[in-house]
Amino acid sequence: MTPETQQHGVVRRVIATPRFFLAIVIIALVIFFGSVKPAFFSGPFVIAPLLTSVAIFTVVGLAQMMVLSIGHMNLAVGQMASFGAMFMGMSYDLWKLPLLVGLGIGLVAGAAVGGLSGWLVARTGVNSFIVTLAMSFALIGLVPTAYSALATGSAFIAKPSGLDVIGRDSFASFCFAGYCGPNAIPIIVVPAIVVMLIVGYLYARTRLGRELLMTGSNVKAATLSGIPTGRRIVLAHALSGLLAALAGFFLASSTGSFTPGIGDEFMLQSFVGPILGGTLLAGGYISVSGTFLGIVLTLLIRKGLDLFGVGIETLNVLLGLILIIALSTDRIRLLARRRSVKRVQQTDALLIEGNPL
Amino acid sequence: MNRSAASFFTSQNFTLFAIVIVGAAALGVTSHGGFFDSISVTTFFTFLAVPILIGLAQMVTLAVGQLNLAVGSIGGFTSCLAGVLISSLGVSPWVGALSCLVVGAVVGLINGSLVVFTRINGFIVTLATMTILLGAQYGLVGTRTISSTKWESVYALGRASLLGIPVIFWIAIAMAIVLRLAFSHTVTGRHLLASGGNPIAAGLAGISNDRSVVIAHTVSGLLCGVASFVSLASLSGVNQSVGGDWLLSSFAAPIIGGVALTGGSVAIFGTVLAATIVRLVDSARAELQLAPSWVNFVVGAVVLGTVALGRFRAVRAARRIKQPVAGSSVTIVESAQ
Amino acid sequence: MTETYALEATHLTKSFPGVKALDRVSLRLKPGEVHALLGENGAGKSTLIKILTGVHRADDGTIAIDGRDREISSPIEAMAAGIGVVHQERNVVPEFTVGENIVLSRMPRRAGRVDWNTVRSEAKRCLALLDLSIDPDTPMTRLSAAQTQLVEIARGLYTETNVLLLDEPTASISANEADRLFTVVRRLREQGKAVLFVSHKLEEVFAHCDTVSVLRDGKAVLESSPLHSHSRDEIVDIMVGRALAALEVPDRVIDDSAPAVLEMRGVATSVGHHDVSLAVRSGEILGLYGLVGAGRTELARSILGLDRITAGSLEVRGSAVTIRSVRQALQDHRIGYVTENRKEEGVFLGQSVARNIAVTVWAKLERALGFVSTKSERSLGATFVGDLDIRVSSQSQLVGELSGGNQQKVSLAKWLAAKTEILIIDEPTVGIDVRTKRSFYDLIWRLADEGLAILLISSDLAEMVTLADRIAVMDQFAITGELDNTHDYDSMSQSIIRLIHGTQVA
Repeated sequence: MTPETQQHGVVRRVIATPRFFLAIVIIALVIFFGSVKPAFFSGPFVIAPLLTSVAIFTVVGLAQMMVLSIGHMNLAVGQMASFGAMFMGMSYDLWKLPLLVGLGIGLVAGAAVGGLSGWLVARTGVNSFIVTLAMSFALIGLVPTAYSALATGSAFIAKPSGLDVIGRDSFASFCFAGYCGPNAIPIIVVPAIVVMLIVGYLYARTRLGRELLMTGSNVKAATLSGIPTGRRIVLAHALSGLLAALAGFFLASSTGSFTPGIGDEFMLQSFVGPILGGTLLAGGYISVSGTFLGIVLTLLIRKGLDLFGVGIETLNVLLGLILIIALSTDRIRLLARRRSVKRVQQTDALLIEGNPL
Repeated sequence: MNRSAASFFTSQNFTLFAIVIVGAAALGVTSHGGFFDSISVTTFFTFLAVPILIGLAQMVTLAVGQLNLAVGSIGGFTSCLAGVLISSLGVSPWVGALSCLVVGAVVGLINGSLVVFTRINGFIVTLATMTILLGAQYGLVGTRTISSTKWESVYALGRASLLGIPVIFWIAIAMAIVLRLAFSHTVTGRHLLASGGNPIAAGLAGISNDRSVVIAHTVSGLLCGVASFVSLASLSGVNQSVGGDWLLSSFAAPIIGGVALTGGSVAIFGTVLAATIVRLVDSARAELQLAPSWVNFVVGAVVLGTVALGRFRAVRAARRIKQPVAGSSVTIVESAQ
Repeated sequence: MTETYALEATHLTKSFPGVKALDRVSLRLKPGEVHALLGENGAGKSTLIKILTGVHRADDGTIAIDGRDREISSPIEAMAAGIGVVHQERNVVPEFTVGENIVLSRMPRRAGRVDWNTVRSEAKRCLALLDLSIDPDTPMTRLSAAQTQLVEIARGLYTETNVLLLDEPTASISANEADRLFTVVRRLREQGKAVLFVSHKLEEVFAHCDTVSVLRDGKAVLESSPLHSHSRDEIVDIMVGRALAALEVPDRVIDDSAPAVLEMRGVATSVGHHDVSLAVRSGEILGLYGLVGAGRTELARSILGLDRITAGSLEVRGSAVTIRSVRQALQDHRIGYVTENRKEEGVFLGQSVARNIAVTVWAKLERALGFVSTKSERSLGATFVGDLDIRVSSQSQLVGELSGGNQQKVSLAKWLAAKTEILIIDEPTVGIDVRTKRSFYDLIWRLADEGLAILLISSDLAEMVTLADRIAVMDQFAITGELDNTHDYDSMSQSIIRLIHGTQVA
């Protein structure tokens, strides 16, 4: 292979990824919204809230991506967020703990319920779908009950110092030598980017990340290759719970209070982001940037519909349609490729899950 | 009928039945008999119909190794659609109410066809249709509630009773009996179970697994439609919240009732009994004046316990007959210490 | 013109990724004939059966039944064409009863309803043909492996067929049970039906078949020839082909006095092994031969800690050990296991070649913060891609895109990368073409010469006799004997077969 054709191959591979397609659509939508509704470019009123929700939901998407990487799913992602956030609220409101300590307690709580799900899946061999579904209902019952017993008005509203900085400030409040940052970029994007970098590093560069992907790719082969798959399953679920709790924290810090309703909207988004971005449901392949772009796309559409005064219900309809169409085109592409480049084994291996024959 | 008689009272059904009896008796005692007065009994059975129907709806998809996340949203959407048809478009109440069944079946058909033609995981397909229908439901009714006064004749059915028990409960039981007969005595029913039990063996025997998947989703949608019809007849009105809390109960009933999640089996009597138990938990919750969220907690915990126990039992049974459960994830995945 | 054939397949061709499974294969079955289809593992027999029964579609070629061309693109069409089959894999619905499994392909019905009485009577009829007294209402899960296989056979007799295909029907049943099957086969022959019989057991073939076709490497090397015009040796030569027949066994020097690195003494396991004793020295290839279901793979699993050892001792390098996981076997004792199920357990189809090879050594490549450099991973991969001559376009190529032989090399490479000293190799050449097979044999010899202790599991007799230094024979989860390998096929195969049948008679 000459360097030239190799380069050509790389370019073609990049273009073929869902990420490239998502980026194109996102750019087109931004141009469209911007030109039809110039108000779209209003920093503090449109862009900043949009970026805030992108930051929150990217973390939600990554939480789901963690378990998708091993071929599992976490239906309790929203409830784990509310469970973790509840502990943060309790730390601040009841125990008057500082920001970071409370955050740590909440993250540990999220990781603990996630780890419990993972342990049940690994230990009993029951489908992760059922385990996390049941877990979500147990938490749906537990969290509001705890709130009504412990919080006045079913919300923890005490704010430790620094919470508002993360959740509500933008770079405009950081001034240096008379110049302030743009007010269109909220501070919350910084921790979100840090999380993306850490997760990206985990999967691309570390042994743990590789072992998670191998476990997702073929759990039997992974066990027979000496990977402690049981522990990796627990780890993936625990990290999923931890990231969910972190997303709950972000959401609470942006709205200003810890309530049982945190996480109610997480479940669908958590799947849409990674899947649009090319993460495989069957496990073994993930994409952090794809998850980010998938989330950006859906939230962008939501914002756009808002600007046009279209109701939130249309967004749901659109999201569902996008999901089906995106995945169907993937299938059509696979079929086309199967005919030309004989990749039957791989694609079949990927398609077996969930479909008899 | 020997086979059915033999399988009808398996130990699991017996346990469930005993729990129902004991639970009802306990409730009777704590309520000082109030639980057994005619109004309580009527309420109990009236609001037992929907849990049974959606449990059966989920069970049919589980039987072929699929699942249906859209159970609640099909119910919510079809009932709101019927409400709009009757109240805004002047469709006659009965036609409107029965449209639930048709629309439910059509949505199920679409679910099944999407799974078969796109080969996308059934989870994602029904997640997508769930989202779409939730949006559509909200689009139809927004924040308003359409009062059942618009369909008095149908609503009257919800209050009618036969042998002292609400007619709509009998409707649910009739559905259960029809399913029972269909799964044990029709060729199609057996083909569905064969596809769920071992799709490869079914395929080699000339059974179309695709057809089984489409039929299962369609029947599931139809049963959601029946549940929606029952809701229309028993609720004082329909709004965006109808169907919102159906998902867990739909899984809880068949799982507690003994349906294998991997497909290939149904447990109609078990599902009905399990739905009854969940309903008892709800009654107890009301009796003890606890927050509604307790029911979710208890049911979630019971479901977790049931699947975990069932799995442990299966593994132990496999060990006992000294057959390596090769290929099962339990033996191959190292246990997490 | 010519006579009418019950089944005539002409120039069937079928390709899978990387393999031409069938290359212009023709097959002719006359009415009233029992036709043997022979060939080694991976020669294409099962593919041919699957095409004839509508499971796969041929890329090219025609199928005619009773002189008429038929399109067979689904199992239903195969049944309609009068083709019945007993598949190699046990494909039953575990939730159903014996009776229902037998009639599954065509449920007796009355007005859309299942006619349970007919289900029972039909199932009884089919079971009676095999002299079986299993109650049709028995749940499938209560049957043993052998009984399941018999039900599978009964199933093939259920529908009225003109052509019956038997794909290794006797693999896991006893000689007595097999005899009943052959009684039925003789009856079918008298009725003018055609039977195609696939088997690895040449004794059965010579006792019951009239004509023979042999496949090798996807090609028909012998087409519809009268069986008794050939000697047994001739048939074996045709099956194995000159490529292997002419394979020279290298001179191997084994130090008999060297201590064993892996030794089992009187081992019993949780899955049913008993009195298993064997020992492998470094530099030695110990063959573990047995029929399918004899408990060989299960023994490997016990060594790896996947099943429990309940009695006796397992010694590695002279000291008794308890192994609880593959990881422990690998890291503490340097034991590796090349699985027989390459695709399901051996490789990660959706992952790159580099990662498939490095999977066992990440713990060693790991630096601070869990960092594993892609560069070290790739240089390791490059070593083995070169050393084992794995054909890849680049190390980032997905393993799912490689041919079976190259996948198998990847599956082996990860253990070499981990520098294992004891290697259990399970059916190394299943589904691999003859040429690659040869290079595999050379590789295994080389690894032994380099000092690895190799426990070779195989059900391919020729492979065993070629490769192993000593052969332990396993039957019904026990070692029935051990032989020094003389590499003489005839004498060795007879001694081995005797060791297997010895226990069956007892």
